[in-house]
Amino acid sequence: MKKILSLGLVRGLIWQVVGTLAGALLVTAIRALMGLNPWGNFLFSEAAWVVGGLTGVIAFIAGVGALTDWFQWALGKETPEHREDPPGWEKYFGVSLDHKVIGIQYTVTALLLLSVGGLFALIFRTELAASGLQFLSLQMYNTIMGLHGMVMIAGILLGVAGVMNYLVPMLIGVHDMAFPRLNAFSFWIAPPAAIVLLSSLALGGFNTGWTGYPPLSARAPVGMQMFFLAVWVVGWSSILGGLNLIATVVRLRAKGMTAFRMPILAWASVATSIISLTATQLIGLSFQLVMFQRLLGMGFFDPAKGGNPILFQHLFWFYSHPAVYVFVLPGLGVISELLPVFVRKPLFGYRWVAMSSLGIALVGFLVWAHHMFTSGMNEYLRVPFMYSTLLVAVPTGVKFFSWVATLWKGKIETPTPMLFVLGGIIVFLMGGLSGPPNAIVTTDLHLQDTYFIVGHFHDTIFGGYIYPFFAALYYWFPKATGRRMSEKLGKLHFWLMTPAFLVMSFLMMRVGLLGMRRRIADYDPALGFDFLHLLITLSGFLIAISVLIFLYNFFHSIKHGEPATGNIWRSRSPEWQVPSPMPAHNYEEAFEVVGEPYDYGLPGSTYIRFNGKHS
Amino acid sequence: MTHTDKKTAFRLGVIVFVFLAILTALEFFIAVAVPSTLLLSLIALVKAGLVVYYYMHIYRLSEREGDPDSYEYKAGTLRLGLWLFLLSDAFVFGGLAAARFNLLGMTRPNLNQILGLIVTSVLLLSSFFMNRAETAMAHGDRRTFATSLIATLVLAIAFLIGVVGVEWPSAIHEGIAPSANAAGAVFFMMTGMHAFHVLTGVLFLLIILRNGLRGLYSAERHRAVEAAAVYWHFVDVVWIFFYPALYLIGTAL
Amino acid sequence: MRHFVIVGILVLLFAALTFLGLRAVGLMPVEAALQAEIVDWMFELEMAVISFLFALIVVPLFYSLIVFRRKPGESGEGEHIEGNTRLEVTWTILPLLPVLTFAYLGAITLGQTRRLDPNAMVVNVTAFQWAWRFEYPEYGIKSNQLYLPVNRQVVLKMQSPDVIHSFWVPEFRIKQDVVPGRITEYRITPSQIGEYKVRCAELCGASHAYMLAPVNVVSQQEFEKWVQEQQTTTTQTATAGPDATRGEKLYNELGCKACHSLDGSKGVGPTWKGLWGETVELADGTTLIADEAYIIESIREPGAKIVPGFQAGAMPAFNLSDAEIADLIAFIQTLK
Ligand code: HEA
Ligand code: HEA
Ligand code: HEC
Ligand code: CUA
Ligand SMILES: [Cu+2]
Repeated sequence: MKKILSLGLVRGLIWQVVGTLAGALLVTAIRALMGLNPWGNFLFSEAAWVVGGLTGVIAFIAGVGALTDWFQWALGKETPEHREDPPGWEKYFGVSLDHKVIGIQYTVTALLLLSVGGLFALIFRTELAASGLQFLSLQMYNTIMGLHGMVMIAGILLGVAGVMNYLVPMLIGVHDMAFPRLNAFSFWIAPPAAIVLLSSLALGGFNTGWTGYPPLSARAPVGMQMFFLAVWVVGWSSILGGLNLIATVVRLRAKGMTAFRMPILAWASVATSIISLTATQLIGLSFQLVMFQRLLGMGFFDPAKGGNPILFQHLFWFYSHPAVYVFVLPGLGVISELLPVFVRKPLFGYRWVAMSSLGIALVGFLVWAHHMFTSGMNEYLRVPFMYSTLLVAVPTGVKFFSWVATLWKGKIETPTPMLFVLGGIIVFLMGGLSGPPNAIVTTDLHLQDTYFIVGHFHDTIFGGYIYPFFAALYYWFPKATGRRMSEKLGKLHFWLMTPAFLVMSFLMMRVGLLGMRRRIADYDPALGFDFLHLLITLSGFLIAISVLIFLYNFFHSIKHGEPATGNIWRSRSPEWQVPSPMPAHNYEEAFEVVGEPYDYGLPGSTYIRFNGKHS
Repeated sequence: MTHTDKKTAFRLGVIVFVFLAILTALEFFIAVAVPSTLLLSLIALVKAGLVVYYYMHIYRLSEREGDPDSYEYKAGTLRLGLWLFLLSDAFVFGGLAAARFNLLGMTRPNLNQILGLIVTSVLLLSSFFMNRAETAMAHGDRRTFATSLIATLVLAIAFLIGVVGVEWPSAIHEGIAPSANAAGAVFFMMTGMHAFHVLTGVLFLLIILRNGLRGLYSAERHRAVEAAAVYWHFVDVVWIFFYPALYLIGTAL
Repeated sequence: MRHFVIVGILVLLFAALTFLGLRAVGLMPVEAALQAEIVDWMFELEMAVISFLFALIVVPLFYSLIVFRRKPGESGEGEHIEGNTRLEVTWTILPLLPVLTFAYLGAITLGQTRRLDPNAMVVNVTAFQWAWRFEYPEYGIKSNQLYLPVNRQVVLKMQSPDVIHSFWVPEFRIKQDVVPGRITEYRITPSQIGEYKVRCAELCGASHAYMLAPVNVVSQQEFEKWVQEQQTTTTQTATAGPDATRGEKLYNELGCKACHSLDGSKGVGPTWKGLWGETVELADGTTLIADEAYIIESIREPGAKIVPGFQAGAMPAFNLSDAEIADLIAFIQTLK
């Protein structure tokens, strides 16, 4: 018991509750003094909830101890950048400065969020299994559906941060990120934000979906504010994470690791981080503006006051399109990283693959309005945005062709991670190819806001993120634990999830084309979709089961998996040249890069050499 | 570290400030005489360029000194981190500016011009003293550091009072209230977000001042001072763009 | 070399099969407008290109998996091929072909779907939570159904008093948002007589799913007949006194029922049960009797007097004719 209470996480949670109450009561008191009605529909007034939510988050971060060092610094005291973590599991529940611990904290939180989001999906999928309203109210459906979207996206962002945090320092041969304290801070922002996000369930929910368009979002219940606040906060986690990663890769690479000798995943991570560092600010801003419109009646998006609802959509999508590349670029990086290992052959056209990530990221900044083709924005803007969007196909294509060329004439092995890599390639290809029809205005006029779009992005997200993420987990699990996950269960997971997912996404696109709108709790039986929707729901549940198998495999193998301390994948990459699990400060001795990263099949060549110097 | 001697370093600061002051005056008169958006934007860019180069020393980003464990190298990494943060922050202000032009187009709220010019000059002057404080510390001159930093702080607080304490009430009195119309919303959000950054800057400066007085910094080791200075100048740069956007460009409503 | 030939043949085969398969299944609903034909033509072309590209990646992938898999007991590494710049350049340039074609045809077809017919019929559309209202200025008709003569272009001038909605008839393909504070235009030329539905395609709150309205594409004669009927009924209602049954019809059609219950249960708005003549307490504390004047005001400018516990501005302002309001009041009076 005492041990539990001493955990940073627990302390943080307690502080968050206290902080929220403190903030809310303060505002309530002020309102009372100003003669305004101090209370609201949900006990506190809306303003009180917003301020309370914010103070709560800050209190959590302070309570968990992520700010302590900075307070010390402000007082002029130096604190060490590398603390010794307690052995055992406690270190994962408190502030640690070790990038590996933080990476694992991120990853496990991501798994948790993705499962919660998946659970939401199962709930509203059950509602959709047949036409007519089964058990959800209309408002409840919208809330759960929107939460599914945003919780999943938050899960992805944390998962991405997890992979990059855990791997990139190892891959480039440093003992930690450039700013370890900032790194811990970036992680510890996320849990309280997730709590705020889910709290919207209790505060009337919100009925706008994850996009939160005003004017609807300006009229929604208080839950809307919690949604906005939470996303605004999580945004900072990925902004600061991106900052940290860029600084790390630019400044701290191992000796001899020139730009074009970096592991491909490092390239992908940098491309990703450029987006999350900059674009994220604009989703934050757009949400902030709506929050203030609600709190102070500021008329940014209120036509009655000369505001413009379309402006919100521009600000929102300026982030939220590039964001989709944040989801996939690391995933595609993982694919490019693992393919050579299991094909036993160099990555075909390394430089091109590396550059294509940057290409996608940069072009991705110029395409946002393709989400607004029917929005009533300036007619003529639609054409240039159609062109820029179609252009993204080119760098993405380079990746696909290079992958195929990598497979060609290899000696292909297919253990579980490779299965997920291949599945990812095919599923993402389907998602990607369903992009141009949306990009071409003429056809998008039909597709916009239908289940075709829903199918499109589940394909891209699963293929570009979920599959590679699973692959990464199966592949690097031994590095973190010194044990490997069960192959049998892994293969079962794959062969259950893949057909189920294909059925789900194909049928989504099918009903979409035939006239199924997005974000509806009930559909016209006259359309005759009942059976197809039933199938979609069932395949959703099959995916869930497969993921449960994965989760069992994951947590069971931590203690009971078969030991795997060596270079079990026969990889050239540095982290596999030292025994697993990775020691606390990574490499005992520093290494120098002496060759190309992926020269499989070139006799006598190595990528790195340990130079005996203590790192 | 700039290896020029103290005098020339100080003189450079003065010269840059004089240029900035002239350009600001020019800006003001252009807005009155020949309101040309193009000219005003150009001048703003020039001003920003001067600050970014001579006060924020952007070129130091390219310096790669010392072995990875040295203080200099660490300071360089820190510098990069800070600049990345500013880049990110610039997107918020860029977004706000975009919103302003989307909603108000070539019109602007009818604000108190004199007051606008005063607060702008005050902030500019604070930048000058900040630069002086940093240069002083870079040459190990603790007294000038302290005095100039205090001057910076006084001006910073004067700016806050000018905007939040004087400008806001008078704007509301003029009917430019946050909830009145888009113009009011834009004005308060832009000045509000900027004022918030000024406030954080003030806190940063106070910490630097305290630790400086306790002698924690030296000519060789004062990366915190440099960081505070760069951040402070950035806040000034933002205002260099917001001032014309809110007070000068477009026809007053 | 042998490999390439086999793969090449398989790619073409697979592509053709995929495309023909998709065609056989039939992907789109009925084509009920000229614009729909344009959209479908474009979509079919996209499907052709996509089927080919899909085959182009998937076939060699599976081929390698089968042919180049590590056979049992086989050791050693794959062939050491680092890359091939000429190839990379090729497959960077080649995709530009479909991209440029799409770009060009996309712009052309977009223009075609937007083409304006000078003697098109104008209909003013109001979309509000959660119903549609159509007004024919030419004929002075208001209706909650869209009647359209076949083969004549119609221009919908659409506006919304509350939140964003989107006008979509799947059989027409085209979709256009309705945005508060501006008028958006929708041009369509129905080509198929039949009964369809407008389906609001932008999430607009609780009852978004139910924001449908009938769209009837009819022959010219039938259209004129319908116009006749409507005009007579409107004139009648204007002359004839208030009528509760017509009021009830309006209650259902105008979407009042979305928010106002008749059984006393609390919806988005207060129930109408026993509303008539009851003493209403307003948010500002004052009380008044729910009389004609109050109800008229509540409908014409809902913001004016707010009932506590309800969100001001939740109710859109309805500009209804005096006759309609009279009917509604007559209806409300019956709800004791
Ligand atoms: C992982 C996330 C992800 C990714 C990678 C993508 C990738 C792409 N997306 Fe997608 N998209 C989403 C996630 C993603 N999208 C989401 C979440 C939404 C819905 C948001 C919402 O409204 O809720 C959305 C919506 C969306 C829309 C708006 C639809 C609408 O609401 O009307 C559009 C329109 O242009 C679009 C286009 C594209 C395109 C062109 C790509 C391209 O990047 C695809 C490029 C890849 C390929 C083309 C395949 C490989 C290339 C080749 C084999 C080379 C040859 C190919 C050609 C020459 C065509 N997407
Ligand atoms: C990460 C992104 C992600 C994922 C994985 C999913 C997964 C699923 N999604 Fe989701 N979906 C979105 C992102 C995602 N979705 C978004 C952004 C929207 C738009 C929301 C909006 O319109 O506002 C949406 C909307 C959406 C809709 C449209 C709702 C509507 O418009 O009314 C539907 C309908 O069927 C749906 C279904 C499903 C189903 C059945 C799954 C199943 O796969 C779920 C079953 C899975 C589980 C129960 C476990 C989940 C966990 C994982 C899959 C990974 C776990 C761990 C690792 C990866 C290691 N989703
Ligand atoms: C989107 C929801 C919504 C719709 C649709 C709606 N109303 Fe309302 N209505 C409200 C709300 C909320 C209130 C209470 C707040 C207020 O008075 O503005 C209200 C109040 C009223 C009142 C005053 C009732 C009382 O108890 O004092 C009348 C009368 C009324 N509406 C009539 C109508 C008519 C007639 C229609 C249809 C033509 C209609 N409403 C459609 C939401 C709606
Ligand atoms: Cu109106 Cu959805
Ligand atoms: Cu997009």
